[in-house]
Amino acid sequence: MMQKNVLSDNVLNKINDIKKADILVGIPSFNNAKTIGHVVRAVQAGLTKYFPERKAVIVNSDGGSTDNTVETVQNAAIEDFDSIFVQHAIKPVFKITTPYHGIPGKGSAFRTIFDIARMLSARACIVVDSDLRSITPEWVELLIKPVLRGSFDFVSPLYLRHKYDGTITNSIIYPLTRALYGKQVRQPIGGDFGFSGDLAEFYLSKDVWDTDVARYGIDIWMTTTAIANNFRVCQSFLGAKIHDAKDPGADLSAMLFQVVGATFDLMEQYSDKWKSIVKSEAVPTFGFKYAVGLEPVSVNIKRMIERFRLGAKELKTIWDKFLPEDVIEYLNIAAKLPENDFVFSNELWVGIIYSFALAAHTRAINKEHLLKALTPLYIGKTASFVKETAESTPEQVEEKIEELSRLFEDKKNILRENW
Amino acid sequence: MNIINKIIVEPVRKSLENILVFLPNILTSFLLFIVGIIVSFLAKVILERFFKAIGLDRFSSSSGFDELLIKGGIKDSLSVLLAKFTGGLIFLIFTLLSMKGLEIVIVEKLIERFLFYLPDLIVACLLLLLGWLLGNFFGRAALIASVNAGIRFSRLIGVFVKYLILIVAVTMALEHVGIGKETIEIAFAVLFSGIVFAVSLAFGLGGKDIAKKYLENKIGGEQKQDQDDIRHL
Repeated sequence: MMQKNVLSDNVLNKINDIKKADILVGIPSFNNAKTIGHVVRAVQAGLTKYFPERKAVIVNSDGGSTDNTVETVQNAAIEDFDSIFVQHAIKPVFKITTPYHGIPGKGSAFRTIFDIARMLSARACIVVDSDLRSITPEWVELLIKPVLRGSFDFVSPLYLRHKYDGTITNSIIYPLTRALYGKQVRQPIGGDFGFSGDLAEFYLSKDVWDTDVARYGIDIWMTTTAIANNFRVCQSFLGAKIHDAKDPGADLSAMLFQVVGATFDLMEQYSDKWKSIVKSEAVPTFGFKYAVGLEPVSVNIKRMIERFRLGAKELKTIWDKFLPEDVIEYLNIAAKLPENDFVFSNELWVGIIYSFALAAHTRAINKEHLLKALTPLYIGKTASFVKETAESTPEQVEEKIEELSRLFEDKKNILRENW
Repeated sequence: MNIINKIIVEPVRKSLENILVFLPNILTSFLLFIVGIIVSFLAKVILERFFKAIGLDRFSSSSGFDELLIKGGIKDSLSVLLAKFTGGLIFLIFTLLSMKGLEIVIVEKLIERFLFYLPDLIVACLLLLLGWLLGNFFGRAALIASVNAGIRFSRLIGVFVKYLILIVAVTMALEHVGIGKETIEIAFAVLFSGIVFAVSLAFGLGGKDIAKKYLENKIGGEQKQDQDDIRHL
């Protein structure tokens, strides 16, 4: 699925001038003028510092920004290399800025990046978000080196995050992906990835660019496609991930619909693959692990439990259509528990996620309704998790997530037998 | 004896003669009715298999039509649905033919009027079906969205949306078949205004504290007392 005609003559001329590249760094953007300058400078510094002898190209794939994002990218440059103990690169770092075409979304932006990577025969590529505040030159090294020197095809990020950050990843996406495809990739929807030129070409060959993958499901699609098609996968420790505050009113149910929906869609595509996998295995991990201070996260448990109770009362008629009776009974009990005793067990949660996956497979109800009806349950599970781990250290929290993940694996037969 | 003849025997004889004259028509009609049942049943079975064989369900699934059916709570596949509809239509045609076969003037006139009315009736039925599908879909969507927004009377909102759509569909359907056109328009306007007024009142009375708190927060600066900082992704 090549898209030869959509790149402008200017961009095509530039690609013809560059001819070939060793490394390609893709940065998708949409109105990120505030942060993208820092990202581009960090990437330039990383390329200059760690890969001075390699021919590198930075590609900004923009979705029609109106806030000078493109100009910021073009003007971003490191003025004082000495201050970061870096000598000028032996080979210059090229920059290409291009609007992407197709359905608006991160996936379409990535498609353009993959396409340019193919045209430049890039050996190693990375993609990083344009709203990152914590990106350092080392990220470039950590995401590229496993591909260039370790012959890995896909490098997933490993971040240090607050124990209450990334709760959809921790309670659904990571345990489910790990149980399904047998690889312990801790941040499957991290968003900052490294990958080989071969894998970029493989991504490009897939006929998904008119689907939800083009809009929002690209992260889990990239990870799952790499794992399910037996590309060599590893992860690199990048430190803390701090990015520009997203819209605070961002709808949780929309997030669940997009991310969990994309994961369920991939289950359809790779059902033959995941059915045969019984256990998961660790993937090679690179980078030097260290602790950093993380911003405190405030949580209103009372309100979360109230939201769960409201869902248990009002959405029962919808849940009845696909949740097993024992799960419904348990939910009724949980909804009546006082705040201090409120608990949402891992067994219950695994049963719920697998039932939702099966309901999506059998199309018990409209997919959007189905996934949005998961919201109160997810809030209940998160409230319980926050209560359980209030006094826990990051290591203890990680152990809890490990326990949940093992349970997802142990109960995978529910999926296999009812699919 | 003459009286008995006049009162009983003669009418009975005439009735029997009438019945004998009418009997072939009844038999023909009955036969047509039975044939209608058999043909419609066979057509349903054959068409269902045919539609499945040509991959209509696959097309329905890939085109997203299945989604629409599921949204409206219809569990039948497109093949089954079309086969049922065609079977029903065949049955209806045979039933009308059998009734026409009776050669009763009133029945014939009724059938004529019915056939004249049929296109409007089909459109009205389609409007009702569409209203039912959309009512169920948007009612459920409103319920889920309200629950996720933490609104306590979510069920009421869901039911309101569902029945509002149904009322609009019924009104349009009745208007289409020309039943009490003006009365329905007035009734709808009264009903709709009443519902809007009731909902406004409910929102006003039930939500005055929320509105007060919201305005205080907005005007007096956002107080993030009960906000969560959790980043879910």
